[in-house]
Amino acid sequence: MNMTKVLVIGSINDTGLIGLAQKVGNPEIHYLVLGTGDTSQLGKYGVTKAYLLTAQVDETSFAETLIGVINSNNYSVVIAPASKFFKTAIPISAQKLLAPVIVDVLDLKQSDSAFEVTYNGVGNRAQVTVKVSDKVFLIAPPARFKPSEKATTVSTESLQPKVVTGVKVVSTEEKPKGKVRIEDAELIVSVGRGFKKQEDLKLAFELAEVLGAEVGCSRPIAADLKWLSEDHWVGLSGHKVRPKLYMAIGISGQPQHLAGMMEAKTVVVINSDPNAPFFKNCDYGVVEDLYKFVPALTKKLREILKK
Amino acid sequence: MEVLALVKLALDTGQLRMNESKVDIDATPLKISDIDRSAVEEAVRIKEKVGGRARVIAVLKYGPLPKRQQEAESLLREALAMGADEAYLIVDNALVNSDQLLTAKAIAATVKKLGNYDLIIAGEATIDGYTSQVGSRVAAELGIPVISFVRELRVEGNKVTAKRDLEDAIQTVEAQLPALVTVTREINVPRIPPLLQIRAAMKKPINKLSLADLGISMKSLAEIVNIAPIQVKRKGVIIKDGTVDEKVDKLTQALIQEGLITPR
Ligand SMILES: Cc1cc2nc3c(=O)[nH]c(=O)nc-3n(C[C@H](O)[C@H](O)[C@H](O)COP(=O)(O)OP(=O)(O)OC[C@H]3O[C@@H](n4cnc5c(N)ncnc54)[C@H](O)[C@@H]3O)c2cc1C
Repeated sequence: MNMTKVLVIGSINDTGLIGLAQKVGNPEIHYLVLGTGDTSQLGKYGVTKAYLLTAQVDETSFAETLIGVINSNNYSVVIAPASKFFKTAIPISAQKLLAPVIVDVLDLKQSDSAFEVTYNGVGNRAQVTVKVSDKVFLIAPPARFKPSEKATTVSTESLQPKVVTGVKVVSTEEKPKGKVRIEDAELIVSVGRGFKKQEDLKLAFELAEVLGAEVGCSRPIAADLKWLSEDHWVGLSGHKVRPKLYMAIGISGQPQHLAGMMEAKTVVVINSDPNAPFFKNCDYGVVEDLYKFVPALTKKLREILKK
Repeated sequence: MEVLALVKLALDTGQLRMNESKVDIDATPLKISDIDRSAVEEAVRIKEKVGGRARVIAVLKYGPLPKRQQEAESLLREALAMGADEAYLIVDNALVNSDQLLTAKAIAATVKKLGNYDLIIAGEATIDGYTSQVGSRVAAELGIPVISFVRELRVEGNKVTAKRDLEDAIQTVEAQLPALVTVTREINVPRIPPLLQIRAAMKKPINKLSLADLGISMKSLAEIVNIAPIQVKRKGVIIKDGTVDEKVDKLTQALIQEGLITPR
């Protein structure tokens, strides 16, 4: 089989996507490093060439710069990390190069010049496989893949960005950073809009403390009300979790929330509305006002667990 | 101001028809993708503030077309009832399950056909595909600036100012019109139109276009070969009778039985 040229994009520390590149039949892997870093370490995973783009650019400028790189070396597969930056930049490049973009990629197989790509689709309710030939862009979370080791030497080239004016950044305000890694939590107590005030979340935090659980939340709690930082946010647009216990309190169970916690082993739902959709997707569902139920549950668990 | 909102007639993922082996796309009802309602709302608000027109553009992506057209039109009536003036529906068999490259080509061609425009508003992502691609692709096709993930938008004269909601920061940006923005669902609360407006919407035009009308002859480059449902079986034990303490007892018993807590 002929070599297939693959370009992986990412920071120097986020090399998981090389694992996805290695699934290509007979890959020649190049890496576009954003920022700085020692490119020789990429040789550990079979990367033979690195581009260094140290200048900070906006999405459109990055898209144009990337088109230049792709045209100069004719890559068949281009792989980028899942982030809002790349979800904006990659489609611009792809549209101009007449290529598909497959997002949330799980797997890839190559036969001759065609690629079969499997990804999470239909609102994260199905695994969809598509066949593409010629050129394709893939977007996936780097942590999903682990590259195998294969030593090579890396040649490095510095990239001059092609700067496009159009969108002007006026100011940037950092968001408060949380410390929770909800994706890794074994037990999660998750809160939704059933909580009437931010102070009331302490009911959930007390319960979580007794259980030794992390606190998760629905999108409105983090994105709209900003009662919790975004690292708590579970769902299609938030974090995907896979705990042993997921206890959803005052969350209605819309499909976009379910998309984030489908892999939980046991699901407990507490909701005052017996018709809440979440009751159709739970192992144990309690129909009760959370303001009455949660304090009573916390008290009981304290007794049982002697905490 | 000529504002265009892009509306996806998406698979209602809450009502997905599926069993262990198959997702029945053809039998699943469509709905206006939630965030695109916010896009329509924002377009109508801008029109109400500065005058002009708000029009919506939709591409029908799911078949079977004979059945879907009626469904698509009644969904577009919802956008018209919210205050949009006119709708454009692109219907063509070549677009069924096609990739976003072709969708964007069709939308951009429609935009060009409509002539003058100042601002295009799309949702940040759709509830079914959730790929966030179409907005950027349409902007690229039209050669205009794109501002994605916008949660606050201001249009003044010939300039748009937007607050972008990124992973680690809120970024404020500016661009000259024409431009395309994609909005997050936090940007507004879409209105629920009163009956009078719903009636009035029946008289507003829904214009249908095919790829031939748009001068597009290209085919989708990604072909779906398989859709495997992800389904989880849950026990579905509902605890609804008795006092609060009785319910607490039932749940704690269950948690002990599941081995999730161990009494000490
Ligand atoms: C593209 C897209 C992506 C999205 N991504 C996500 C995502 O990642 N995560 C996410 O969560 N959502 C996401 N959403 C939003 C999602 O559709 C819902 O709007 C959201 O999950 C609802 O949050 P909620 O359940 O907290 O609030 P609501 O739907 O308002 O539900 C509140 C629930 O609390 C119950 N309740 C009220 N009072 C009490 C009480 N006293 N005791 C007990 N129960 C009570 C109510 O009965 C109700 O069921 C997304 C939407 C879109 C369109």
